[in-house]
Amino acid sequence: MRVAERTTHDAGAPARVPTEPAAHAATRPSRRRGRNREGLEAGRRGTRALLWVLLATAMVLYGFPFLYLLFTSFKTPIDTIAVPPTILPREWTLENYTNALGRGGVLASFINSVQTAIISTVLSLVLAVPAAYGITRYKTLSGRIFIMAALVTRMVPPVAIGIPLATMMASIGLSDTPIALSIAHTTISLPLSIWLMSSFFEAVPNDLEEAATVDGCSRLGALWRVVIPVVSGGIAVTAIFAFLASWNEFLFALLMTAIRSQTTPVVIANFQTQFGLDWGSMTALAAVYSIPVILLTLLLQRKIVAGMTLGAVKG
Amino acid sequence: MSSRTTISRVAAIGGLSTAVLLAATACGAGGPAETPGSAGTSTVNVLVEAGGHAELTGVAEQCKKETGVSANFVELPYDGMFNRLSSEFSSGNVSFDVAALDSVWLPSFKDAVQPIDELFTDEAKKDIFPALVKEANVNGHFIGMPAWTNAEIILYRKDLFEDAKNKADFKTKYGYDLAAPTTWKQYQDISEFFTKDGMFGTDVKGGVETEWLAHVLQAGSPMVLDENNKVVIDNAAHKDALDFYVSLAKSAPSGAAQVDWAAAQNLFNQGKTAMTRFWAHAYRQIPKDSPVAGKVGAAPMIAGSAGVGAVPGPWYLTVPKATKNTDAAKKFVKCAYDYNSMGIESSLGLASRISAFEKYQDKAGYESFKPLIETLKGTATATRPATEKWQQIVDTVLVPMLQKAVAGGDSATLLAEAKKQIEDLLK
Repeated sequence: MRVAERTTHDAGAPARVPTEPAAHAATRPSRRRGRNREGLEAGRRGTRALLWVLLATAMVLYGFPFLYLLFTSFKTPIDTIAVPPTILPREWTLENYTNALGRGGVLASFINSVQTAIISTVLSLVLAVPAAYGITRYKTLSGRIFIMAALVTRMVPPVAIGIPLATMMASIGLSDTPIALSIAHTTISLPLSIWLMSSFFEAVPNDLEEAATVDGCSRLGALWRVVIPVVSGGIAVTAIFAFLASWNEFLFALLMTAIRSQTTPVVIANFQTQFGLDWGSMTALAAVYSIPVILLTLLLQRKIVAGMTLGAVKG
Repeated sequence: MSSRTTISRVAAIGGLSTAVLLAATACGAGGPAETPGSAGTSTVNVLVEAGGHAELTGVAEQCKKETGVSANFVELPYDGMFNRLSSEFSSGNVSFDVAALDSVWLPSFKDAVQPIDELFTDEAKKDIFPALVKEANVNGHFIGMPAWTNAEIILYRKDLFEDAKNKADFKTKYGYDLAAPTTWKQYQDISEFFTKDGMFGTDVKGGVETEWLAHVLQAGSPMVLDENNKVVIDNAAHKDALDFYVSLAKSAPSGAAQVDWAAAQNLFNQGKTAMTRFWAHAYRQIPKDSPVAGKVGAAPMIAGSAGVGAVPGPWYLTVPKATKNTDAAKKFVKCAYDYNSMGIESSLGLASRISAFEKYQDKAGYESFKPLIETLKGTATATRPATEKWQQIVDTVLVPMLQKAVAGGDSATLLAEAKKQIEDLLK
């Protein structure tokens, strides 16, 4: 586009009648410009190609493990342990899915995972949104200390709080319940949620709220009617992170659940026993377990992209 | 308000309401389990490693019929089970009434479980392998009833051993008939013989310690610690065992340092190795579509100067002191003993009573049982040292040392270093 503009501009330059040598001289810069243009275009093509290569590499790096898992779930038992391993199944079978889904407790564990992840996500958002709003809008020292302290909790190894949490939950009669596990999961997702939401609130100009206040909104009304709709993309991103943190969490689920609230990650791990590893069934259940997250991400794709770019352009 | 906004709001309110409702009811989808440890209930919660669940399913059904005690199983992966047990035992608030414990955990949890001496009648003691009776007795009390046990035996490729050309070639080269090995010299020769054309005679597992320790037992030495907990890992038996163990690496796939149970089992099931020393249950778990399915023979663990020796791998049913449901729990443990042979029909296919194994030993498909019985009854067979630091010793000293040894490290130096490290751990 710019090249075209420049060409037009050159074409509009005052006309001169060049002498023979001068005409010769005049063609030289235009050739140089032509060469420059070609060089620029070649450079752009190169950059684009490099970007595509990088993107493709990233896609392969991220996608291959999942594809391998998916292919393994369709392999026969002997194929899953082939030495050297094969990518595609030599013989396709659904036997692993039948085994995995037919195993006692799998459906219940799915329901438990959904319950736990939803409760934990809701808890995280309900706590993180007002906390982050307060921190960003009332820039106080205690707010700054609080947000740093929230981050510190992420630095503690989960096992260090897992065992005391399990003991506490047992002592208040919440042992082996989804609510106990959700609370435990909230301790993981809440700090990240507060940080994420803080950055999203930072991106919202104060003028918007002031305008809402002028129109008669209370502070809470402005938050509910103006700010939250603006940061809804950010909320979606935060919700996804909180949901995933709970959906995939293993250690707390291992320590705090038994019969009534065991979640699927523990059931998936149960395919590895002291006496062998049932790769086929394990990958089949893992593949099925990833479907809701993929669907959720696709459903909220627009919001996620909007959330990720929120605040990228300020002013 | 647009319909889209309305839908969003309704969805949000619905989601919140559901969450609150679920939170309020605090119920999960696993079923209405009775409160664990509640007094006098006829339901027991049984904590079991995922691989062992199938072993006890038949028992549980029978137990319900016979005694009215029903069981809820809490399955956990092996790697996480120790943490869970530690957490619950230390809190004094347990969510289970019966726990199946790996034998290596017995010393760690001996103070958290109840004696079950009344279940160890004279008749029972006669029907349980001697090494297991000894291990179950801690400080003069029996604290765990063996639910199933295992031991390493020799699995070999019957088809290759019976091949006429292999037989002739072997006899020409070594001067004796090709057959399942009964001495370690034979094992070495056969391993060397089959290491050709992309195949290997055996595997060497740098990632696990029990095979090397079996050699130590076969030489008549206690493994790692003597009865006074003195570290004897640097004695001649340990060194000879380590040197022999490493010597097999030339007939095994490369990368021995990383080979563990899963890798060795894969290699054998893929037809890459002609022999393996492996836990007996693997005989019945060879996939039907494996190139070696139906072509595998089983033989007892090979004897050394002290006789046949192996390290058994039993699991014990224990009753926590913290349970309020002791009677029902003990009834379940007794059922597990009474109907022990039902475990053999499960996918794992193991038991703990001698009579249970003997009942099946002549049946087709259970050819591994005779070698297993012989190995478990071996004069040199012994359980692991009864120290709560054992798992730590294995993970931080023995396995790293073996990995260095199979990679070419000097055995005497490595054993001397290991001795110091273990002494430091035991201080």
